[in-house]
Amino acid sequence: MFTTKLNRMREYFLGGSYMKKRPIFFSLLVFVACFILSTNIYAETNESVVSDGHSHEDIARGERFFKGLLPFDRKYSSCVSCHNLKQVDTLNWNPSAMDIAMKFVDKDYETFQASVLNPSGKKMEASHVNFNISEEDLKTVKVYLDDLAHHGTHPVKPTFNNLILFLFLGLLITWAVIELIFLKKIKLKLIPVIILLGAFGWQVNMIVTDAIRLSRQQDYAPDQPIKFSHKVHAGDNGIDCMYCHTTVEQGKSAGIPATNLCMNCHVIIREGTNSGKFEIAKVVDAAENGKPVEWNRIHNLPDHVFFSHAVHVGSGKLDCAQCHGAVEEMDIMRQESELSMGWCINCHRDTEVDIMNNGYYQHHIERQEELQSGARDKVTANDVGANDCMRCHY
Amino acid sequence: MTKYWRSLDELNNPVVFKKNEIKLELDAKRAVLKKASGSSRRDFLKTFGFSVAAAAIVASCKRPVDKAIPYLVKPEEVTPGMANYYASSYFEGNEYCSVLVKVRDGRPIKIEGNNLSSISQQGTSARVQASVLNLYDDARLKTPLKRGEATNWEEIDSYISKKLAQLNADNKKVVLLTSTLISPSTKKVIADFQIQYPNVEVVQYDAVSASGILKANELSFGKAIIPDYRFEKAKVVVSFGADFLGTWLSSTEYTKAYSVARRVLQKNDSMNRHYQFETGMTLTGSNADIRFPIKPSEEKTILTAIYYQLLQAKGEMTIAAPGSPVDVKGLVEDLLANEVNSLVVSGSNDVNTQLIVNAINNLLGNYGATISLDKTLNTHQGIDDNFENLLSELKSKKVRGILCWGVNPVYNHPKGQEIKELISGAELSVSFSDRNDETTAACHWVCPEPHYLESWNDAEPKTGVYSLAQPTISKLFDSRQAQESLLKWAGVEAPDYYEYLKSNWKNNFTGLQTEFTDSRIFWNDVLQKGVFEVVTENQDSLVYSENGLDVAISLSNENSGGWEVAFYQSVALADGSFANNPWLQELPDPIAKISWDNFAAVPVKWAEENGIENESVITINGVELPVFIQPGQAPDTISVALGYGREIAGKVGDGVGKNMFALSTIESGSKKLWISNADVQTTTKTFELALSQTHHSMEGRPIVRETTFDEWQLDPAAGNELKEEHEEHHVSLYPEPEFKGHHWGMAVDLSSCIGCGNCSISCQAENNVQVIGKEQVRNRRIMHWIRIDRYFTNDAENPEVYHQPVMCQHCDNAPCENVCPVSATPHSDEGLNQMAYNRCVGTKYCVNNCPYKVRRFNWFQYVQNPEFDYASNSDLGRMVLNPDVTVRSRGVVEKCSFCVQRIQEKKAEARVAGRKIEDGEIQPACVQSCPADALVFGDLKDPNSKISNYFKNERNYHLLEELHTLPSVGYLTKVRNKKR
Repeated sequence: MFTTKLNRMREYFLGGSYMKKRPIFFSLLVFVACFILSTNIYAETNESVVSDGHSHEDIARGERFFKGLLPFDRKYSSCVSCHNLKQVDTLNWNPSAMDIAMKFVDKDYETFQASVLNPSGKKMEASHVNFNISEEDLKTVKVYLDDLAHHGTHPVKPTFNNLILFLFLGLLITWAVIELIFLKKIKLKLIPVIILLGAFGWQVNMIVTDAIRLSRQQDYAPDQPIKFSHKVHAGDNGIDCMYCHTTVEQGKSAGIPATNLCMNCHVIIREGTNSGKFEIAKVVDAAENGKPVEWNRIHNLPDHVFFSHAVHVGSGKLDCAQCHGAVEEMDIMRQESELSMGWCINCHRDTEVDIMNNGYYQHHIERQEELQSGARDKVTANDVGANDCMRCHY
Repeated sequence: MTKYWRSLDELNNPVVFKKNEIKLELDAKRAVLKKASGSSRRDFLKTFGFSVAAAAIVASCKRPVDKAIPYLVKPEEVTPGMANYYASSYFEGNEYCSVLVKVRDGRPIKIEGNNLSSISQQGTSARVQASVLNLYDDARLKTPLKRGEATNWEEIDSYISKKLAQLNADNKKVVLLTSTLISPSTKKVIADFQIQYPNVEVVQYDAVSASGILKANELSFGKAIIPDYRFEKAKVVVSFGADFLGTWLSSTEYTKAYSVARRVLQKNDSMNRHYQFETGMTLTGSNADIRFPIKPSEEKTILTAIYYQLLQAKGEMTIAAPGSPVDVKGLVEDLLANEVNSLVVSGSNDVNTQLIVNAINNLLGNYGATISLDKTLNTHQGIDDNFENLLSELKSKKVRGILCWGVNPVYNHPKGQEIKELISGAELSVSFSDRNDETTAACHWVCPEPHYLESWNDAEPKTGVYSLAQPTISKLFDSRQAQESLLKWAGVEAPDYYEYLKSNWKNNFTGLQTEFTDSRIFWNDVLQKGVFEVVTENQDSLVYSENGLDVAISLSNENSGGWEVAFYQSVALADGSFANNPWLQELPDPIAKISWDNFAAVPVKWAEENGIENESVITINGVELPVFIQPGQAPDTISVALGYGREIAGKVGDGVGKNMFALSTIESGSKKLWISNADVQTTTKTFELALSQTHHSMEGRPIVRETTFDEWQLDPAAGNELKEEHEEHHVSLYPEPEFKGHHWGMAVDLSSCIGCGNCSISCQAENNVQVIGKEQVRNRRIMHWIRIDRYFTNDAENPEVYHQPVMCQHCDNAPCENVCPVSATPHSDEGLNQMAYNRCVGTKYCVNNCPYKVRRFNWFQYVQNPEFDYASNSDLGRMVLNPDVTVRSRGVVEKCSFCVQRIQEKKAEARVAGRKIEDGEIQPACVQSCPADALVFGDLKDPNSKISNYFKNERNYHLLEELHTLPSVGYLTKVRNKKR
């Protein structure tokens, strides 16, 4: 009796019935994987190195000091008020706690102390004034920062608002169905029906909107390893886009400037108005030590899309801002446009192409004749085949 | 109407054949269904799709963070995303080709032909195309080895230098065993090495050598040379078993020349006549105008008969000519009518045969005309006797050390096992191989050489024709060029072959030209062009003498009986050194259309009489081989390909097929690639072959249209009468297609196409076409975007053969487009039949509805799938992928795109520059490197383009015109120069 049951169980898990459940099992797996992935993203950005051990009390004390939680004479603001621990939406020009931790992790206390108490550079001199931190306190801060470098900041938990709402709607649906079939407490049947349809409709709407948004990242503006500001470079200093993005007129890719190109200017400019020396030092360090900067990629088309900057900028003479927005006003670079297929196609339908002044369009002699004879008042990108599938997908 | 057939089954019993074909397909489908799980694909997709969407909401699913890592210091010539081309030289397995290497972001990904080379003239072969994959082969050695264990260069250098010095002091001989050396600088390195170690002797050994020609020419002209054959000048070409279009000597060069002499487009074009005498059906034989299936033993008899008949006709001989097994009267007439303009060649390795060939060519006055002795071909210098001497010296311990470089005699010599023991028994045995092979495994020390795409070198394939090879990627593994190893052991502290090469060119080559006075500018110029050719003055002219001819003729009647088995180099694998290359393994044999195995090609009549079928197993001298019944196989003979049966090649090549070198024999010092009196036994076993020949039935419609040269001269539209008839009946409900800007089209000259398969591999490399393995090829799922159909006509004993490349026809009235439920395959404004992979849901309606059967379905995930462990299952192997082409995943349909990535690239370039696209500027991969120039691509909207002229040619027709699919691919009728 018992063995047959056991066998049946085994069959269930190993045999045919298991196979039937596989799709559900698989989707559950995807479900779980998405959670894991979303939390991992933050953990990844905060790299950590192996610890060499300190007492937890020291670390805790250092942390409290850093955060300004210790009772003391407050002539100066706490560390955390300038050096943030968490990611923020607006650009904080000061180095974050993690940045500092990573920089000093393999340096000794004396270097750290010297750096804090005898500031160099205008920016630091202006903020690090009248620092009267006891050696004991500063040591614990260093210990805390070292620990931070080793273990990273605590990962930010994803928010569950959507999930809660989704589940709540699910409950509503369940209740409405039970009410309609079994309980029948509400005489006016219209009410549960409306609730049922409304909740279901809302759920579908949530799925559709989010499914469309899936793998798109408009407004994506991640923190970068160096607080590089397009506002400072392109806006305040008026550097032309193509000074750095050199291949935009010839290549498919506009090109992320090589570090040696940064050094054209930064070989002299070692201190910024906003960031002081800290950020520029990272570029210099990368160039001198041969460690390329690992930027977080913002504009990222799917692998089956082949986009060419050369066609749009080199030949089409489009302004960078048309797709990338007012980059000269962005401290943190952000993806301005949707970069979806619909967005491309719509633009192609509206954008006029100057086919009279580009020798290539002699291939489109019919369109040129139509323009000249007045049979057509404009030629759009779509008219010269920009919306063919194999223009971008091959 | 001529009846075309693809296999004997179809010829004999078409109804049963058709039924069988359908049954096979059903079986394959059932097998797949059986494997599937309980839930259907649809159920799975539904659940999966919903759960992804739901998960997206609740977890706000994010993409992983991508990194963008720019250069630290950007090299000036590199633009990310844009390819650079570097000229280089390919020389492996005795095949030379001047190439351009396409490098994308630091990775070589494609080989193209170099149009500046007078030898390869922008053509390549399938093997050259596939050589880029060898660079990314997992089987390559990662470190130097000492008795199979990883070691370092310091240990190797200190041991070997000491050992060499000791052997030198003891006056013990050491042999440097190499394949043919055509590099002048390498020869200089070896000379330097020999100064340090006078006890070192160089022996050149070729797996399939040209000893016979070399020795015959030494007798006839006093110099062991291979002359420069000028096929383009020959009006009559007679070949005795020389597969000069496939594997013989310099096949790419000969293919170029041969197709020039046969191109008939305009009124006064002439055409050569090609006679082929051969045992099995080779690529060259399939293109011949007149083909004689003969036994290998009859070759000399026929040659003697021809020689005597020629002598008689010229009145130089009065005695009756000896009898010939075949009637050569017509041939002799043709030869006499075309004295000075004829060419007789033989692929035999027998000196006497070659002596008679020389005598005939001399009699016809071909020397100095179609055969030039001024320039010699240097790609085959190995003389078999030298190697046999080496073996006896190794045995007698006269030779104590052996350095093996680019050779694999343990595999490709009949005494392989003995050689293995001799090598491992030597005091010093070193291999320079970049991968483990049978010979390397026997050596104590392995000093891996880099791949040719990682190396510096130079070459002199023909007298006065020089070329350079340059690295296109930094070394992937811990390897060192053999030249540097030799220099190091000769006492150079830090050898640098690049500097050595450069200074050698500075000192010895700058003076050969007058254009540049500065040697650095000269060097840069050659490096950029890849080739440097010297106009040579006539050297001391060689005079023919009849040395040895009498003996040769007296030996011309060979006694032979029983089965004669001939061994040939297959077009894909040649001598087998590329056996671990999955692209080549999967390339169907041009005639048999079998991939992944070698087989015994048996004559049709014998098979019928003995009830032998395809895939039956027979034994030849004890070796079991599957049978393929080969139309055109000479009676009482069997042909088997060499190059298979590797034991130590890598995961792809190990144990594929049987090694036929083991059955070959050594006769009077030379390797003889056929045997007589073979013991052939039938068995009851069967062995499955990956036959792709019965794929894609054309249902007996006039797919190939043909004519003869005489008829063509009278009426250029001969054989193409149907076209007019079809065009009269063309009516369509659909509106006339309109093209914006361009209308891309391709033309295939069936008369030029020789069926070599270069286009298939070129396309495979360009378009990331995946290898699917033997089982799936058997299931008729081969992924090649351009396949070469082969049809036979007439007599099964000696049929005529047609090769027809078929790729997507880009129909302007495409049947596939109308049936796609998701619009994944619409028509473009430029006449392209587009395929959007990311839209395809895999219904395969288009595959069913395509009358040309050119669409390919991804039945499995072929990339990163351990089930398909070929090239795309490792990071290294995937480095060859073209980043400009999507890697297709499971469940989508793919097909030829006319290399749309190249079209878009050139269009973008023209747009940015503000100019029109020139005719011929855009070349799809198949067109670019075609050695026969059989393919033409261009814009049909331009009335003056080459493609428009081809389409206007009377020979032009389309496949299945009666369907009114309006293909953008045209075919030019096959013309054969038959004798009236």
